[in-house]
Amino acid sequence: MSEDEFYKRAEVVKLDTLSDVNDIGKPWRYEEDGLTVTRTSPWSPPGCHPVGCGLKLYVDGEGKLVRVEGDENNPVTQGRLCPRCIALKDYIYNPARLLHPMKRDPKDRGNADAWEQITWDEAFDIIKGEYDRITAAYGRESIVVFAGTGREGGTFAPYGTMCFGTPNFCYTQSGYACYTPRLAAIAYIAGTTYPEWDYAGALPNRWDDERYELTECLVVWGKAPLESNPDGFFGHAVIDTLRRGTRLIVIDPRVNWLATRADIHLQLRAGTDTAMGMAWLNIIINEDLYDHDFVEYWCYGFEQLAERVQEMPPEKAAEICDVPVEDIYAAARMYAQAKPAAIQWGLAADQKTDGMQNGQVTVDLMAITGNLDVPGGQILPGTGAGHNESGFGFEKGVGEELQKKMIGLEQYPAYCMIILNAHADLMLHALETGDPYPIKMGFYAGNNLMSCTSMEPQRWHDAIVKSLEFCIGFDTFMNPSIEASCDIFLPLSTVAEREGTVFTHYAPCTVTAGFMHKAIEVGETMTDFELCYELGRRLRPEVWEDFASAKEFMEALRLGKKEGGKYFDEVSQNVVCQIPVDYYKYERGEMRQDGQPGFATPTGRVELWSTAFNQFGDDPLPYFLEPEFGPANPELMKEYPFILTTGARTTAFFHSEHRQIAYLRELNPDPIVEINPKVAKDLGITDGQWVRLWSPFGECVEKARITETVDAKTIHAQHAWWFPEEDGNEPNLYGNFRSNINNLLPNDHFGKLGFGAPNKCLVCNIEPIAESYDTDMNLIWEKFGKLV
Amino acid sequence: MATYGLLIDYEYCTNCGSCQVTCKEEHGYPVGKTGIKVLSDGPWKIDETHWNWNYFPVLTDLCDLCAERTEKGREPMCVHHCLSNIITYGTVEELSKQLVDKPKQFLMVPQYNPIEAKGAFVPSSKSTHRAAHIEVQGTGKASYAVHRHDTKVGEIDETEELEGA
Repeated sequence: MSEDEFYKRAEVVKLDTLSDVNDIGKPWRYEEDGLTVTRTSPWSPPGCHPVGCGLKLYVDGEGKLVRVEGDENNPVTQGRLCPRCIALKDYIYNPARLLHPMKRDPKDRGNADAWEQITWDEAFDIIKGEYDRITAAYGRESIVVFAGTGREGGTFAPYGTMCFGTPNFCYTQSGYACYTPRLAAIAYIAGTTYPEWDYAGALPNRWDDERYELTECLVVWGKAPLESNPDGFFGHAVIDTLRRGTRLIVIDPRVNWLATRADIHLQLRAGTDTAMGMAWLNIIINEDLYDHDFVEYWCYGFEQLAERVQEMPPEKAAEICDVPVEDIYAAARMYAQAKPAAIQWGLAADQKTDGMQNGQVTVDLMAITGNLDVPGGQILPGTGAGHNESGFGFEKGVGEELQKKMIGLEQYPAYCMIILNAHADLMLHALETGDPYPIKMGFYAGNNLMSCTSMEPQRWHDAIVKSLEFCIGFDTFMNPSIEASCDIFLPLSTVAEREGTVFTHYAPCTVTAGFMHKAIEVGETMTDFELCYELGRRLRPEVWEDFASAKEFMEALRLGKKEGGKYFDEVSQNVVCQIPVDYYKYERGEMRQDGQPGFATPTGRVELWSTAFNQFGDDPLPYFLEPEFGPANPELMKEYPFILTTGARTTAFFHSEHRQIAYLRELNPDPIVEINPKVAKDLGITDGQWVRLWSPFGECVEKARITETVDAKTIHAQHAWWFPEEDGNEPNLYGNFRSNINNLLPNDHFGKLGFGAPNKCLVCNIEPIAESYDTDMNLIWEKFGKLV
Repeated sequence: MATYGLLIDYEYCTNCGSCQVTCKEEHGYPVGKTGIKVLSDGPWKIDETHWNWNYFPVLTDLCDLCAERTEKGREPMCVHHCLSNIITYGTVEELSKQLVDKPKQFLMVPQYNPIEAKGAFVPSSKSTHRAAHIEVQGTGKASYAVHRHDTKVGEIDETEELEGA
């Protein structure tokens, strides 16, 4: 297939609620009632997963964005929008938005009033001076780039490789417990990337396309797709499919909205998913419900898997998971007998020490039931998928010698090599101790780690502030991490102020590809591509000789072209494109670089017995690890009697973002902890009362919601809270550590391959407190509601 | 003139908040005010395995059905942005027919600022009974009670005053 066919304008699928007066068929830019309308597929910032929901941006004669509307030309979102893009104006013109570079003396770190506005030139001069000084003394490996999630910068590896030339691009969540363990599991087991549920997103007639088969049974496992639009999947596609008759199984310790619509909800004890998955495999194999042909011709190691799962009879799993055994049988049978069936595996898979094994059992289930690469099952990306974002420019920018110094590479190659990232937990140790070498300079690439992505955030805070001699923040707003530790602040463009691309699932499983168009200019901001290019050229001109502009760099990285931006300009006019999808590719040699049938694994098959796991020193077959912090440790449970699970999302915020957007904050003004009514009664906690939560690692306060969404052994607490309306000076730091649930979560409890962390399955205790920290919404409105 | 309203298929309302936020953006309503709001009932258990948990987007007294947009033939913003696509705009006549299509729906016809909608108070100035010209004589005496006339609690005698006058 030629590339031109890739980026064709997507066909529109009109919603019947949309009026006959609409904008279907409009070009990427047009005029309406004296306003210029720009159609765009946004991605970052604000942070979000790369769905690229269609947007229409209405700009007046003075260049001001006056109106934001969902674009009905997008075949997946069809004009629909979540509250965060609806409130985009309030983000862009928020009085707290920062629009100019600033500097601050390193001795004034933590002083919110000590920033001084400077020009980009001065900022670059300061950075160049510090870069040269620090790299001369300590080497380029002494620089860490803090990666994040959901922002383009958050996974923008060229910052590390090409701009700073350090091997230490580092997502700081313990065990990289977010998405990458699942990607690693499918890569090692099936030689492919993200196996998204086939929601007909790439088919021209969507659900009614003749090639599509409606999913009979969808398993939503440790995931809240409606709220999170996970990894670029448009969450409400689940609603679209429910309306068409798809039946649901939900596996989750929490009763979420979807769970109450499920035929079967397995409300398992947090952290026991791998045992559940093994029990499903046990039932499906022992009851002969698996796809014999697929197993015989396309899988490797079935006998060994069959033997291994005998160790987990459903009765044993029922005890471990605290779920009725008949529900486990019913669910496994329903999943195996439905054709097609699909699993949406969520973040919860990654957030446990045996996260890789959780991923492994999930891929095994998809494989032995014959649901890989089938319509309405799991779509598998072929050989051409992805962008090699982490490898782009690596050789020239870092090189083999320096790569060897990547923190953690020697100990955890299965982690570091697959994502070209320094190991999170070992980076913390390096920052704290200077071992294996000192870390002296830092850059926040779309990340607010002290509020969101780091466990024991006070430890990270102290280590960063102490270890780094120089640190740069690049963002749209001030945040606690930058306030605490940066010496230079650089202002970042939002989606309305930039050109760019958006590939669903971060490109490894592209369903739609979208293009961003610049509609407005605000302040002196830059995009990630612009900063990486402009700063990179100053720091290391020799690396950037191949690119004449930031746009050319973007075109090369995202579209694999080098036409001086002309190719981008041409295809971007299509705004959103459906990337052709195909099924049964493994039969035709489209899953392997050598063009042979099969999968890109050493055996050419889906490896139920994993040669890769084996080679990296892990068990080649799945195994369940009882959560270290839990009932397995009765002494601990005496002091911390509740299972703590964290991080369920809301539509109001993207992780630590959006707290200063009044209309969004109004949806969820305070950090909420969910407590079962029985527990609340026992402990004397009333609905709406503030409570203290503590674990062996730390404590925080949140506001109680008394609800049966959690059972009596489980507490669920919201994450990523800070309070931009409060004093930013140390030690308050916008209240960063007061309601920060990560205070209660540890580092250093990952799995054998270096992946996984118990962030959704810890323990805690809880008590009511007399104080109230209720948010004053009038103050939020006063401070952030008057746009500038 | 036809009456317009919104048909809401609350079976699939997930409480995403899009309707409320887009309404506030469209009308510039501050924190605390909105033309549409999501109410909830549940979650509570019907029995061991089934839950009742419903959300209801309801129209407030600040809903004008996006008059400026509907005038141009477009749908209200909450209809346009609803993530579950559960809100339909139309005439009560059309929408009420769709109520039979499936359960878990309701139809709502809002009234923007109902007191104001009644308009300013206009006196009717109807002709009333004309006061008659009849002479009245006072005695100077009266007694007062509450509840019942026979539980007298006080009385006055102003005879002297009257006579003095």
